[in-house]
Amino acid sequence: MMTTKSHDVVVVGGGHNGLVAAFYLAKAGKSPLVLERRERVGGAAATEEIAPGFRAPVLAHAFGPIRPDIARDMRLESHGLSLIAPDPYLVALTPDGRAIAFSRDAAHTATSIAAFSQRDAQRYPEFQTSLMRIARLLEGLLDGPPPDIDRPSPSDLWSLAQSGRRFRALGRRDGFRLLRWMPMAAADFVAEWFETDLLQAAIAARGIHGACLGPWSAGSAAILLLAAALDPLPGGGAVTARGGPGALATALASAAESAGARIRTGATVSRIVVRNGAAAGVVLENGEEIPAAAVVSNADPRRTFLHLLDPLDLEPGFAARARNYRAPGTVAKVHLALDALPSFPALGGDAARLAGRVHIGPSIDYLERAFDASKYGAFAEEPYLDVTIPSVSDPSLAPAGKHVMSIHAQFAPYTLRGTDWNERRSTLADAVLKTLGAYAPDLNRHVLHCHVLTPLDLERDFGLTGGHIHHGEMSLDQLYTMRPILGWARYRTPIAGLFLCGGGTHPGGGITGASGRNAAREILKHVRT
Amino acid sequence: MASQHYDVIVIGGGHNGLTTAAYLARAGRKVLVLERRHVLGGAAVTEEVFPGFKYSVCSYVVSLLRPEIIRELDLPRHGLEILPLDGTFTPMPDGDYLWRVNDHAKTRREIARHSPTDAEAYDEYGKAMIEMGRFVKPILRMTPPDPTRLEPGGLRDLWSLLARFRRLPADDRYNQVQLMTMSAVDFLDQWFETDVLKATMSASGIIGTFLGVRSPGTAYVLLHHYMGEIDGAFRSWGLSRGGTGAISNAIAGAAREAGAEIRTQAPVAKILVADGRASGVVLANGDEIRARAVASSVDPNLTFVKMIGTEHLPDEFVEDIRRYKYRGSSGKVNMALDGLPSFTCLPGPGPHLRGAVSISPSIDYMERAYDQAKYGRYSRRPYIDIVLPSLTDPSVAPPGKHVMSCFVQYAPYHLKEGTWDEHREAFGDTVVNTIAEYAPNLKDLILHRQVLTPLDIEREFGLTEGNIFQGELTLEQLFFLRPAPGWAKYRTPIADLYMCGSATHPGGGIMGAPGRNAALVMLKDRQ
Repeated sequence: MMTTKSHDVVVVGGGHNGLVAAFYLAKAGKSPLVLERRERVGGAAATEEIAPGFRAPVLAHAFGPIRPDIARDMRLESHGLSLIAPDPYLVALTPDGRAIAFSRDAAHTATSIAAFSQRDAQRYPEFQTSLMRIARLLEGLLDGPPPDIDRPSPSDLWSLAQSGRRFRALGRRDGFRLLRWMPMAAADFVAEWFETDLLQAAIAARGIHGACLGPWSAGSAAILLLAAALDPLPGGGAVTARGGPGALATALASAAESAGARIRTGATVSRIVVRNGAAAGVVLENGEEIPAAAVVSNADPRRTFLHLLDPLDLEPGFAARARNYRAPGTVAKVHLALDALPSFPALGGDAARLAGRVHIGPSIDYLERAFDASKYGAFAEEPYLDVTIPSVSDPSLAPAGKHVMSIHAQFAPYTLRGTDWNERRSTLADAVLKTLGAYAPDLNRHVLHCHVLTPLDLERDFGLTGGHIHHGEMSLDQLYTMRPILGWARYRTPIAGLFLCGGGTHPGGGITGASGRNAAREILKHVRT
Repeated sequence: MASQHYDVIVIGGGHNGLTTAAYLARAGRKVLVLERRHVLGGAAVTEEVFPGFKYSVCSYVVSLLRPEIIRELDLPRHGLEILPLDGTFTPMPDGDYLWRVNDHAKTRREIARHSPTDAEAYDEYGKAMIEMGRFVKPILRMTPPDPTRLEPGGLRDLWSLLARFRRLPADDRYNQVQLMTMSAVDFLDQWFETDVLKATMSASGIIGTFLGVRSPGTAYVLLHHYMGEIDGAFRSWGLSRGGTGAISNAIAGAAREAGAEIRTQAPVAKILVADGRASGVVLANGDEIRARAVASSVDPNLTFVKMIGTEHLPDEFVEDIRRYKYRGSSGKVNMALDGLPSFTCLPGPGPHLRGAVSISPSIDYMERAYDQAKYGRYSRRPYIDIVLPSLTDPSVAPPGKHVMSCFVQYAPYHLKEGTWDEHREAFGDTVVNTIAEYAPNLKDLILHRQVLTPLDIEREFGLTEGNIFQGELTLEQLFFLRPAPGWAKYRTPIADLYMCGSATHPGGGIMGAPGRNAALVMLKDRQ
């Protein structure tokens, strides 16, 4: 067996959180080694060629945004990151050719809503303000670890007191709103404000994005509010990078390396080595052993605990909880190489309105029906779609005059009943194209190539257990002090020297870097030089 | 009309209103209870709808009647007798069945027949749930604190709750947070593998809610079944002799003995409000009755929108009350039978008919029933909880004949097409046909059938949108949010007007806790 020189920290997985963690560890004087299975780092922040000359955001097609302090600390702009934030950031379409355009300026959005309902248009600005106030309170919880329930530290008590103060500053009305909204169904949440089907659906969709929940499922409002804490724009923003999300990965990697981290790609970790109850390093697939004083796993909790560790290394009660951690993926991605921009009659040929995200899912019932099929192990024939055409604002992603389209489709359950994804891949693509075709009738004519990632592909290609894009369901029982497991929400694990830093830890999925940064801070408290 | 004077008028003679009246009367208050119908009990009522057959028209089992109420009001002396309701029998379409009884060893053997590992897990599960029940029970007695205000009492309560939570062993803590947040199916998936076992257990999580067994928030209700059992034997889990109305009558007996006056057929039309204070009520016939305080056991819609008028209330409160969700989701079919139904999977009479018979053969079946209701149809193959009380309590039917009570879900109050008046009998047929798939002789036994749709429940029993719990028991409508944020302490924006029904903490079911808690708050306010 070949043994490489010892590192003080090995990071398993070079996803965006792994890179952020490596950066902060390196900056604090450690010399972390990041091991990435794939040929490229970035994990869910990836731009890949789907057909010659066509590059698509194959996982997330809008991100974050990266927490502002992380972007600042890592000086991502000087590492080549150039962000694109289209406005309007979201357009929601009806099949009969109408649209609502969401702009940063609530007044603009309200004008667009007024064509559907005067009442909703009047309420919209207050909604955006109230959402922002509550989002700001929740935002305070993103940048630190959840408190330790057993032995709250002075800093836990301090941050609890801070949260309490901020909660009281919300006032009684918004304070109660927050308490009421958190456990609600997103459908109820939007119905408290609006009557227009399309508006309700476009806003509620954020509560089911990447989740195994329908808009009528309790707890979907919590996901919506947490997403709002990262980016308070109703319906969610559409920030991406020039060059696609892969460019973000490149900038993160460059920043981490300049700080002193080392990155190895094509290095698949097959096992985390535990000696005397403490992490002692990792073993690669080729048998190479890399000793380390600490191991940080950017892999999801199920992969980390159930696949990378020897079952005997975990106490049975903890192992049972790890098995009970739920990661039922529901997302499929379809990417299209297009010979021209398809026309969406609802947008009247205004290409600028295609620069952001396009929401397909005209009513709450439509979204709920899309979810229904997945409960019985089938995918939706009329799925909920979140679509971007990144080449509209970044022509470098496709040959001149041509375009690339990214479609996030739900619900496509990881486990199909009576069949499997290898058999159903093309049926899924057909269902997605047919659904989208109802909004862009000439779409099919323009398709040069269709690239499909089923939940099974997401698991195989990106190592996402169950194909779950958030590294595990963001349900109320798997959030905050319970992410991934109650009592182990502070990036530590029952194995000394083994830490988690991925989307399976607080504050969860989404490309924000918060988990990686929070984890690095905790790790530094526990790892001696 | 001469006006009479009371210390307290209680609107509604349901079990909670009567409980409030009994506690107040025992504390020396002059109390008047006003009931709209000709019979007391609200949804806890026995009526002879068909000659010789006594139906527990709405609520049909006693689950959670608080032991302290039984004790303090000395209800057995007033005629309360709880008879054991033993077990749950779940017939399956493939000719098999699952039959759980209170005899633990028997149930273990039965579950082992389906899955030996589940039989092991069943023990562990039972133990864990009893621990969880111990943790939750004291909350039922609490007046919910207001988390947006720094009041010493409220902070103390919240702190003691947190401290108790911290003292729980790690496993119990883990179970507790899961119970509060997960779906019944997700929670049970962690323990069991047998589909029918999970389906029939999860059914208790959806009763009276507009949620499916896979909806987050349904796990918590699983606890209720174990809370009843901790108090020992069958004291609080069974049937009451003479039907559920006997419970209300016993509480009424205790109230009358303490000096409360109770009037039936006395519908209240208005609550008198002067200078922001409640000063009495006006009956539908125009009579005015004055009192120092009014306690309403009817739901917030009736209390505030119908009886007070929104013009007397702060705008924000009105908005909250209008937003309070009812969404009745269940119906009830009561039948008089010429004999006993015979189930194909276990034919003939037998002890399996003495408990509940649950039509909940699989998780998918339960979830499909919910899916239809989401889009405004009643379930074509509904979940049905059947009880034959006459087997346990022969007094409710003539000799050799039987009463069959069927609780049916889902029956959404708002139908997408048509009205409940048009669909009532078809709905009744659906229920009969569904049961007949498992017990084909049922159709030949029916002497009389009473079908209660959510609309009927609203009309007959004054429950808005037919919600049997006076408002959904979902997390955003529980504890300090029930019925409205900031008004969870049984008080209202109108001085001297109190709420004491199921729309207040801890909610619906024949529990009596809201009625008792409210009475204690009223007594504290007026020492």
